[in-house]
Amino acid sequence: MHIMEGFLPLQWCIVWWIIALPCLLLGLYQLKKVLAADRETLPLLGVTGGFIFILSSLKLPSVTGSCSHPTGTGLSTISFGPWITSVVCAIVLLFQSLFLAHGGLSVLGANIVSMGIVGPLVGYAVYRMLRDTSVNVYLTVFLVTALADMFTYVTTSLELALAYPAETGGFVSSFVLFMGIFAVTQIPLAIVEGIVLALVFKYIVALKPDILIRLKIFSEEKINAARDDAS
Amino acid sequence: MKFRYTLEALAIIAIIAFSGIFLYTSSTMSGAEFAGSDNVGSGLIAELSGIPLENFQPLIPQWEPPSGEIESCLFALQAAVGGAMVGGVFGFWIGSQKKA
Repeated sequence: MHIMEGFLPLQWCIVWWIIALPCLLLGLYQLKKVLAADRETLPLLGVTGGFIFILSSLKLPSVTGSCSHPTGTGLSTISFGPWITSVVCAIVLLFQSLFLAHGGLSVLGANIVSMGIVGPLVGYAVYRMLRDTSVNVYLTVFLVTALADMFTYVTTSLELALAYPAETGGFVSSFVLFMGIFAVTQIPLAIVEGIVLALVFKYIVALKPDILIRLKIFSEEKINAARDDAS
Repeated sequence: MKFRYTLEALAIIAIIAFSGIFLYTSSTMSGAEFAGSDNVGSGLIAELSGIPLENFQPLIPQWEPPSGEIESCLFALQAAVGGAMVGGVFGFWIGSQKKA
């Protein structure tokens, strides 16, 4: 999902930075508040953030004959919401643009918007829709993770299509072309990522159900039912 | 509904299927280079804008890993940091559960 340094015109770099910055500031403010209110949340932040570090470094081959990486933002989105997730993503993306030449400082704003903001926001919307229904928590985690991953790549396609509309067909036809590269490659990765993070969530539920209940991530009944189901 | 190890089984099946598909496509698809989709995307940008690929210069000067070896080293470092965080916390939780 990285847009490479130099591949986004300056005005678009500025637009995405302007969108990303307030979200990051809100995330930092929320992070401070959450950690000050309850130090017990720090380990949960470590686990959910750790998966963003791990999964976004794994570049996996896909059916289209090119490689791409999962985002790992699902667990963090469910536990802490999209804004704190965007802060963790910003740290990973900054590391990758400084040391790995994946992305860059000028396009960092655009990359934060796709991986750290729009993907998690879509995931968070799905989580809020399913949280108070009878849908199983593991299925919820799977859907949130897979959709946050997919929509990260849809957003990258959108960002590039806006900057590079095709001569014939304009924005729409170049959006379709970019989707063909980014989103299609991502489908199998998003499914595997969703299943793996649902499994990880099972271990969190087994070890620390109290923190999930205290942070009101899922209701006590749902967490207890989830423990019962999988033990 | 009880499903004791269903998630573990599903994860293993998904990973095996994923690897199987990779083995199949990598042996049957001719011309599949398994380059990063980032680079494929950059190629499409060059095509759409009509500007040759080498004319895209970084807006902000950027350090690049001198070789693939160094790049993979830094990627492994990133994954290791994540792994240490995840393993450390799970260990801490298991430890404090046993104590209580």
